[in-house]
Amino acid sequence: MRLTLRDRFFDFLPWAAATLFIAGIVHIVSVLLMPLVAPHDAYARVLAAVGDAPENRFVTLPPVAPGSTPLPSEDPASAEAVCVYDLSQGLLRVTAAADGEDYLALSFHARAGHVFHAITDRAAIKGKIDVVIGDERQMDALQSASDDAPAQEVRLTAPTKRGFVLVRSLAKRPSDRARARERVSSVTCERFDPPKD
Amino acid sequence: MRRPYAKYLRAASAMAAGLALGMFATILALNTGYGFSRLRAGPWTAWPAVGDGSADPYARAAVARSGEAPLGRDQGLVFVATEDSSGAPLDGACEYRVVDRTPAARFWTLSVATLGGALIDNPTGRYGFSSAEVLRREGGGFQIEIARNARAGNWLSPGGARRFSLVLRLYDTPLDVDASADPNAFPTIVKLTCA
Repeated sequence: MRLTLRDRFFDFLPWAAATLFIAGIVHIVSVLLMPLVAPHDAYARVLAAVGDAPENRFVTLPPVAPGSTPLPSEDPASAEAVCVYDLSQGLLRVTAAADGEDYLALSFHARAGHVFHAITDRAAIKGKIDVVIGDERQMDALQSASDDAPAQEVRLTAPTKRGFVLVRSLAKRPSDRARARERVSSVTCERFDPPKD
Repeated sequence: MRRPYAKYLRAASAMAAGLALGMFATILALNTGYGFSRLRAGPWTAWPAVGDGSADPYARAAVARSGEAPLGRDQGLVFVATEDSSGAPLDGACEYRVVDRTPAARFWTLSVATLGGALIDNPTGRYGFSSAEVLRREGGGFQIEIARNARAGNWLSPGGARRFSLVLRLYDTPLDVDASADPNAFPTIVKLTCA
């Protein structure tokens, strides 16, 4: 029996289809899994930068410089501080004072590094930024304990229990660096217990 | 093909090939950018969705792999150029002039970085200019020279890098990321000479 070209083609086709099918599944799964398994994601880098400092406290990151930056792709003009949180110990309150002139930005990152909320000093009310973060259950408890949140308080539901808050401020000139660092280090991040009900 | 194990052999090779192909597609997709939200303006490219809570899976995977903590969408936008305005890749041996026109923003900074976004060591210790400190001509225009050797005025050095990128960060910008950006509102990057 001689195989014609046509027979060979139809003999080969199902295997090619199976190969493509597997490739598609592998591709989708690896893309979806990447945030969970990437070894050097932003959370890992931030944890390494914070070192032994306790959680729920802002730690000022070293100035952005070649070779020594904890996070890649940061602005050399920015001063940064980071607060690593773990909501299983309680809610988190982040407060900052905004003077209305200098740029101050807070971004709230979930474990894999993606931003779930971001604000700048433009969003400050009466010169203050006040954000409360909790998981779904904690926010429900907080909501039922006090229906009327203080007007300037922003309540956020975090998608993951662990994550970090990153504060950035800009030094408009190199001589502003110290002031920018002071600004980010004045932002506070503290744990508080959910109301009992 | 009468041998009894031939089919198993084929199945195994199909699976191995599928695995390799799928991994290759993932690496390719993550190396080319951050998902589907690409915003282009002349030589500049931004990925607005990376700072968004609803970022697509490709954007999330790329961010997790690179390890960066992106700017939130309401905080600013990061535009990166790896080519000059004529489409030639930015070469450390060449000299460039970045000429004004920046989109509306509260502040902007323009810095030189590697293709991966890290700063490049150079003897001046300066890596970028901000909108507040850049020296301006009469009328508010500016130009920044990028060259290895010192220049008068606004000068950035690409150090010893062979290839580099320019990063334009717009803070608190009203730029509409859903519409296509106007290339004329962005700085042009003109190649002057090459060593």
